[in-house]
Amino acid sequence: MSENATAHQDDGHASLIIDNKKLLMWLFLGSDCMFFGTLISTHLIYRKLYPESFDPTTLFSLELTSFSTFILLMSSFLMALAVSAMHKGELKSFRRNVLGVIFFGLIFLGCQVYEFAHFVHAGLTLSTNTFGSTFYMMTGTHGVHVAIGVFWLICMYFYSHTGKMDAHESAVDVEIAGLYWHFVDIVWIVIFTAVYLIEFI
Amino acid sequence: MSEADYHPLPIAAESNKNSETEKYHTFVNLALGLAAITGVELVLVYLPFNEIFIFSVLLSLSLFKFVAVIAWFMHLLYDKLLLTLAFGTGMAIATGTFIALGSLISRSNVDMDAITSF
Amino acid sequence: MSQTQIETPSPTTTQAQPAHVLKPERSRLGLMRPDHSKSVFIDWLTTVDHKKIGIMYGAIALFFLFIGGLEALIIRTQLIIPENDLITAQRYNQLFTMHGTTMIFLAVMPLNSAFFNYLIPLQIGARDVAFPRINSLSLWTFVAGALVINFGWLLQALEMMGLFAASGPTAGMTDMVPAGGWFGYAPLTSKDYTGVGTDFWVMGLQILGVASLSSSMNFIVTILNMRAPGMKMMRMPVFTWMSLVVAFLIIFAFPAITIALGQLMFDRVFDTNFFNVAGGGQPILWQHLFWIFGHPEVYILVLPAMGIISEVLPAFSKKPLFGYSIVVFSGAVIGFLGFAVWSHHMFTTGLGKVATAAFSLLTMAIAVPTGVKIFNWVGTLWGGRVRFTAPMIFSLGFVWMFMMGGFSGIMHAAAPADAQQQDSYFVIAHFHYVIMGGIFLALVSGIYYWVPKVFGKMWKGTLSNWVAVLIVVGLNVTFFPMHFLGLLGMPRRTHTYLEGFGWASYNMVCTIGSYILALGILLLLVDLIRCLRSGEPAGDDPWDARTLEWATTSPPQVYNFAQTPVIPARDALWVHKHGPENKKITYEADHGHGIHMPSNSWMPLIASVGFVPLGLGMTLMQAGVPYMGYVAIFGLIMITIGLILWAIEGPGGYHLHPEQENT
Repeated sequence: MSENATAHQDDGHASLIIDNKKLLMWLFLGSDCMFFGTLISTHLIYRKLYPESFDPTTLFSLELTSFSTFILLMSSFLMALAVSAMHKGELKSFRRNVLGVIFFGLIFLGCQVYEFAHFVHAGLTLSTNTFGSTFYMMTGTHGVHVAIGVFWLICMYFYSHTGKMDAHESAVDVEIAGLYWHFVDIVWIVIFTAVYLIEFI
Repeated sequence: MSEADYHPLPIAAESNKNSETEKYHTFVNLALGLAAITGVELVLVYLPFNEIFIFSVLLSLSLFKFVAVIAWFMHLLYDKLLLTLAFGTGMAIATGTFIALGSLISRSNVDMDAITSF
Repeated sequence: MSQTQIETPSPTTTQAQPAHVLKPERSRLGLMRPDHSKSVFIDWLTTVDHKKIGIMYGAIALFFLFIGGLEALIIRTQLIIPENDLITAQRYNQLFTMHGTTMIFLAVMPLNSAFFNYLIPLQIGARDVAFPRINSLSLWTFVAGALVINFGWLLQALEMMGLFAASGPTAGMTDMVPAGGWFGYAPLTSKDYTGVGTDFWVMGLQILGVASLSSSMNFIVTILNMRAPGMKMMRMPVFTWMSLVVAFLIIFAFPAITIALGQLMFDRVFDTNFFNVAGGGQPILWQHLFWIFGHPEVYILVLPAMGIISEVLPAFSKKPLFGYSIVVFSGAVIGFLGFAVWSHHMFTTGLGKVATAAFSLLTMAIAVPTGVKIFNWVGTLWGGRVRFTAPMIFSLGFVWMFMMGGFSGIMHAAAPADAQQQDSYFVIAHFHYVIMGGIFLALVSGIYYWVPKVFGKMWKGTLSNWVAVLIVVGLNVTFFPMHFLGLLGMPRRTHTYLEGFGWASYNMVCTIGSYILALGILLLLVDLIRCLRSGEPAGDDPWDARTLEWATTSPPQVYNFAQTPVIPARDALWVHKHGPENKKITYEADHGHGIHMPSNSWMPLIASVGFVPLGLGMTLMQAGVPYMGYVAIFGLIMITIGLILWAIEGPGGYHLHPEQENT
């Protein structure tokens, strides 16, 4: 599954001995920092400008959000185990862990869908005020990231059943999927604190 | 990715397994720690402490979680420095832009009276 | 990547047959790979060869340069006399918006990209880029974005013929082409003021962003990971160094515009309040987000040009670049500071004294590394044996003209002066000196320098001198009077003006100049065609050049270097030709398994083409065209399927044995 002009690496000429795909993923994550940085900046700037326009503490359920934060952290743990399993070449353990990650990811998405539905029902929509616009776009973008991650892992899970997934050559593929998943997790760590928790102080 | 990957030597695979087992314990400890921190955060916001104190504790706890996931779950600690630099540059520019933007757009720059709907 | 998954005949069978009779292989999907296709058309559509992709980038960029130039000529013709009514004000707005957007995103950036693609692997001694299929995706996604952003012209033509009228969210709006200026300031881009044209602009730029981001990440990995043995970072050609800086700028600057465009799209489609003043939105936020991207974008445009100059000047002065490491570090410093000066585009918005002073100082600070580079270029020329070849003439033109653009730039850095110049023709004069006098001259220099390598044909005759004279005279006649126009108070984006304003004679001169400039660019194309049709064979190293790309054949073989070169020094080829014995370029022995080449693939093309229905569906939905939502979903599915099949088919690859071909 390795997508690179492997001519050099076949010949052992790689200058830095970092896997191409891994470097690419880290660069993407560095870039993604800027994406979420812009989204979170927009949200907090409007929060700071109009603090009295809307009181999110009436709407937020901190218990639910803490639960989904916990779920996402645990999915990250399972993902780390899945990567580890792949490095050890234990395909069965890999599958078990990835299924866990997918399951937890779906729970997180379910929580988010429930939360959005609840908020819209309570009268906060995209066009209600700046809070609605920035909040939905930011958490929605994060949700789309989670959904893409879940989709990616589902593809990977099925692929592991085709027998074409060799423990050694696919370890990097699993690892970069893992990097993506952990990144989605750390973005949520920031959003949980910066968007949810500080409203309750 | 090198030739060695196609025909892994038994010794290499063995040491690989050992280091993975070590990592397993780190991961379990970290996962427990992260869960505990999230619990502490949840309780903390309801406690009647000084706002600035709570705010700074929340900030540092979140920063710890952030760094811990990157360092251990994402293997950055075990990996090449270049990856840290690539990610760190993005993170630094994003943080710098966030701080600059936040201080550039504030209530003092905005004519609040003109915004009648709020 | 194991050898077991490379679906090639074993080396023994390959040795029996030369490369051109290799059979198409089956991919993991069971599909035939489009390798070694007899159809040239299919071969170019599915190619993953960085050289072919570079040539296509260049050709498409030159096409859009022509389109953008045509738009500029209409603008200038409208302004030739006071109260001209050649075109309506609405058409004028569309033309200057599309002129800026086309020139920046569809002409200069892809021309830079053409040079990146073609040269970087050659300059670092690699076989191809790190991810050949992502490279192909970048090219076709760029084409898809260009189509989406220009689709408005077709719709506008239909509208003028009375065959189409917008309904739905933009009902009643007659503008189908972007008309909000290339930086699309809010709230002008809101649904209340502009029609579906803005939607084309938003979607087109988003798609172009995908192309730029993916190709930049690809190039960073290529430059860091794929260098030939001995090619240390501080031995890399300066052009490669500047490309690396630019790639980092792109991956950190583009997300800001992506999010800003996304917010604008939400404002237009879902009535959100990001920039909607009535709902508490702050239009100033758009300006900040745009320029957080927009200022690094300026360096994204200019740094490759500086790289080209740093290659050409040493080659034709017979001297190494003066202060190589200082030039490299100044490039990196320019890139880094580029993220800290964006608000100098917004001095007149009332940032506050401290912020204005800080951004003013930081902007002036950027003049330092830029000045350092100019002194280094002059230092390179000093005492050199200068040859006035075509590339050299354009490069010398760059140094002078770019400096003039830089000087008016420093004037803008002073906030009080900028308050006078803001939005006047003085600004137009400034950035056209930078872009035309600077970047464009450098790109032409690069074309003259590297075309003999790309096509193996040498330039004929002295037409290039006429090109140089016409372009330099043309751009000065066009843009120099604009300084005066600006100081006389002519605002930019003025559809027409009255007789008594005192602008008429200057505008007349500008327009005449623009036609001289256009003639020069036309002659450049004539010269290029002449060279390609009937040029003499160029030979491997026609300029007696210094860097690695001249060590291989002209044009290079598909595998670039038959054996991997081992680089002993900076300016490797020069040292190889004229240096000591122990600093020759050596070549690694082939271990018998030949050269591994990546397979062609349909998948990047399929994924990229999906962006067209996605972009057009989303935009036409805004114009009330029925069923467009389904078209957009179809596009999204097409992209997803393309990517999944891409992952499953595997990279494939085949082996070439150049030695056996020679015998």
